[in-house]
Amino acid sequence: MIDEVKKKRKMTMQISRRNFLKFTGTVAIGAGVLPKLIWLDDAIAAIPASEGYLLVDTKKCQGCLSCMLACSLVHEGIENLSFARIQILQNSFAKFPDDLTMAQCRQCVEPACVEACPEKALYVDKKNGNIRIVDVKKCIGCKACVQACPYEPGRALWNSEKKKALKCDLCSGAPFWSEKGGVKGKQACVEVCPLKAIQFTKKIPEQKGETGYKVNLRGESWRKLGYPTD
Amino acid sequence: MNGYAGKILRIDLTDRKISTIDTKDYEQWVGGHGMGSAIFWDLVKDKTIKGFDPRNIITIMTSPLSGTLAPGASGRTEVQGIGIQSYPIGWFTRSNFGGRFSAMLKYAGWDGIVIEGKADKPVWVDIRNEDVKIKDARPLWGLDTWKTQEDIWREVSGRGFGGWVELDSERRTTQRPAVLTIGPAGENLSVTACLIHDAGNSAGQGGFGGIWGSKNLKAISVIGTGSIQIANPKGLMEARLWAQKKYSTDLNNPDASWVARFGRRRPQNLFWDKQEKARLNSCIGCHIGCKERSDTGYGNESTCHETFFYAGYDKAKHGGKQTSAAYIATDLLQKYGINAYEASRGLTYIRALERMGLLGRGKKIECDLDFRKLGETEFADQFLKMIAYRRGIGDDFAEGFFRAAKRWGRLEEDLKAGILYYSYWGLPEHSYDPRAEVEWGYGSILGDRDINEHDFNFLFWWPSGAIWAGKTPQPPAEQAVKIIAEKLMPYENDPLMLDFSTDNIYSEHMAKLVGWHRHYTRFWKESVLYCDNRWPEFINSRVPGYRGITGEGEPKFLNAVTGKMLTFLDGMEMGRKIWNLDNAIWILQGRHRNMVHFSDYIYNVPYKGTGNFAMYYLPGREKGKWDYIRVDGRHLDRAKFEEFKTRFYDLEGWDSRSGWPKRGTLESLGLKSVADELEKNKKLGA
Repeated sequence: MIDEVKKKRKMTMQISRRNFLKFTGTVAIGAGVLPKLIWLDDAIAAIPASEGYLLVDTKKCQGCLSCMLACSLVHEGIENLSFARIQILQNSFAKFPDDLTMAQCRQCVEPACVEACPEKALYVDKKNGNIRIVDVKKCIGCKACVQACPYEPGRALWNSEKKKALKCDLCSGAPFWSEKGGVKGKQACVEVCPLKAIQFTKKIPEQKGETGYKVNLRGESWRKLGYPTD
Repeated sequence: MNGYAGKILRIDLTDRKISTIDTKDYEQWVGGHGMGSAIFWDLVKDKTIKGFDPRNIITIMTSPLSGTLAPGASGRTEVQGIGIQSYPIGWFTRSNFGGRFSAMLKYAGWDGIVIEGKADKPVWVDIRNEDVKIKDARPLWGLDTWKTQEDIWREVSGRGFGGWVELDSERRTTQRPAVLTIGPAGENLSVTACLIHDAGNSAGQGGFGGIWGSKNLKAISVIGTGSIQIANPKGLMEARLWAQKKYSTDLNNPDASWVARFGRRRPQNLFWDKQEKARLNSCIGCHIGCKERSDTGYGNESTCHETFFYAGYDKAKHGGKQTSAAYIATDLLQKYGINAYEASRGLTYIRALERMGLLGRGKKIECDLDFRKLGETEFADQFLKMIAYRRGIGDDFAEGFFRAAKRWGRLEEDLKAGILYYSYWGLPEHSYDPRAEVEWGYGSILGDRDINEHDFNFLFWWPSGAIWAGKTPQPPAEQAVKIIAEKLMPYENDPLMLDFSTDNIYSEHMAKLVGWHRHYTRFWKESVLYCDNRWPEFINSRVPGYRGITGEGEPKFLNAVTGKMLTFLDGMEMGRKIWNLDNAIWILQGRHRNMVHFSDYIYNVPYKGTGNFAMYYLPGREKGKWDYIRVDGRHLDRAKFEEFKTRFYDLEGWDSRSGWPKRGTLESLGLKSVADELEKNKKLGA
């Protein structure tokens, strides 16, 4: 039985990313009718959807990078912007709203990073709400996940000091924080954001494009600060 | 070394030599200003050199909190060296700017930069982690500060931004390099020239832009991918969330908040008409921003006085309606790299001369400017170009308007009449006039510059703002001064320190307030680099009982990062030490108490203010009762100010005849070698 599972895992692994996307792309994914499981073939229930996601409001963000500093702090115990699982990119001279973008891990329904990992070190943590996370003990530092992430900038990160991959775990494994993280707990970036421009949701966002992940989190009180809510 | 990168970058531009200083050698000073003063003391043997002397050293220092999650402290950078702006002596001085330069410098592995010498032709410094190169800046020379930064970004990134930029096969970042640069004003050696970083962060006072120009240094760019070690990561995260939740802006109720220090409902520190579509913008790590970026792209990241500079003229010209001219004029200040206070006070001054028929086309002081166009973009551009490029009479403007008045033979007369608002050390007055808000003026004249430290300035804004709006200020004066006095360690619980009535402003109580202010800022704000806009916070309207974060907050974050376990009082004593070291440098430069006096108008002309400032309220006692009292309408008394100085020097343990520190005072602070040096120069207090 164990051998059988291993064999199936190997089969899954052998599906190239391109084929994987082509294959799974045929599965209808909509905001309302979302499958809990995605069937790679008629036999393997490969990747259950994550039970938690981060949404951001790029028009609300003040560009303080506190989310990045908090992320690096609670996960690594240090401050390093390159190790932050959420990245804020901005240009002082550009015009609002194109002066800034936020790049959080999408906890993809079809995670290219998980598929790319040859060691199953980047895996779906079924004990923790199916969050896609890195098992650093298994990570061999091949950077396959870093290259596989189809988004720009890539959301799977590289820890150049430890030679390991890093990825958003929704704080389920944040050793330097006294709060409980994960889908049933808190996330450092959400908690620290002074403007509440990051939100946690259990609902699977629209996977196509960015609109599912970049949302409007400005309520009426935002107008009190003098800013548009539309 | 928790909180530190571990080394300081030393660049000799003359020999193009790059070396390092071990941060440990200066760790006792903690960071920022303390470290900068100590390095300056050690490396500049002859303190009497002028600002343009190649031997002048410029230090650019970070703090252990730079690049960390400490609120309102992560993004400040401290700049020091002998300045060129003050008069009669260009004091050893300081400036400070926000943004993300200090953070990036630490990520690159450097706690600071020490610049010495002079390059034989224009250069810029390209720092990519440990890799430091001095590069040819001839292609950048002549460019404005924004274009310079964009060109450097492009060169460093290789392929542009939007994704990960690889510095080598292992290390990458999504962030743009942090660039500190000069514009044309600096290249043309103006004393009004700033160092500019990103769109609107600038080190304006002291004329450091001009000094960089004299060193042929156009820019320093830094990009880093390294880590800062944190002593207590859990503690830092907890402290941040605690401070934010308890004291910072409540988004659902922005009226009550940490930024209430300025009595403003909103956190933006802007004086022009707000642009409709914009985002709040902050320095790295800040809990609440004070600047904006807008959909017009005008006025990005500018705050405070630079947003005040042209808005009034713009409105006056356009029937009370502000146009884009106000924003564009401010952007030009940033692009040319010009000190907003020089431009602002200078424009007020030459306009007065023009109205007096003394300045203009064909007038005694020949000036090309067409004042009928004042308020238009064209006028602002012409005026600022004159300063930046020394065009026509702009050659005088570029020397600062105090020296310009001197060149025109008008200095004495115009200072006496009070039409030239330069109240201390030949420097432009800040708006918080020494005659009204004495702690600001006293701190400036006893120091080296317009202090630009708003620690007690909320005591003007908060009650005055309420009264202007027809409301009753809360908390009442007596309660407010009680809360603040509790926090003024080691002089705690003396509310008379905050009595701004005319009877009290020359007292020992006021001397204690000025001393506390000098010590607090030297350490907590200029060495640990807590931002002036957000710290200290004595009173917070969100907290029941109004007690702000100051006293508890400052050491909490520092200790979480460094593990040093300093108390608030330890910091105050460190501040006193640094203040004494700075004074020793000024004394070696030639300071004596006889020189420490304001411009004549401060003693002769009653302060009347303009606009709202004509009703200037501060706490004080009237007939023994506390209230927010009017402090406009008065001038300082020359003889009583001399008595105040004596009280201040006595309090500091200095010789009140000379204003020079005594050996016992210096030795008790661990500054024996400083006492020895003063004695060698026959300048030790007796």
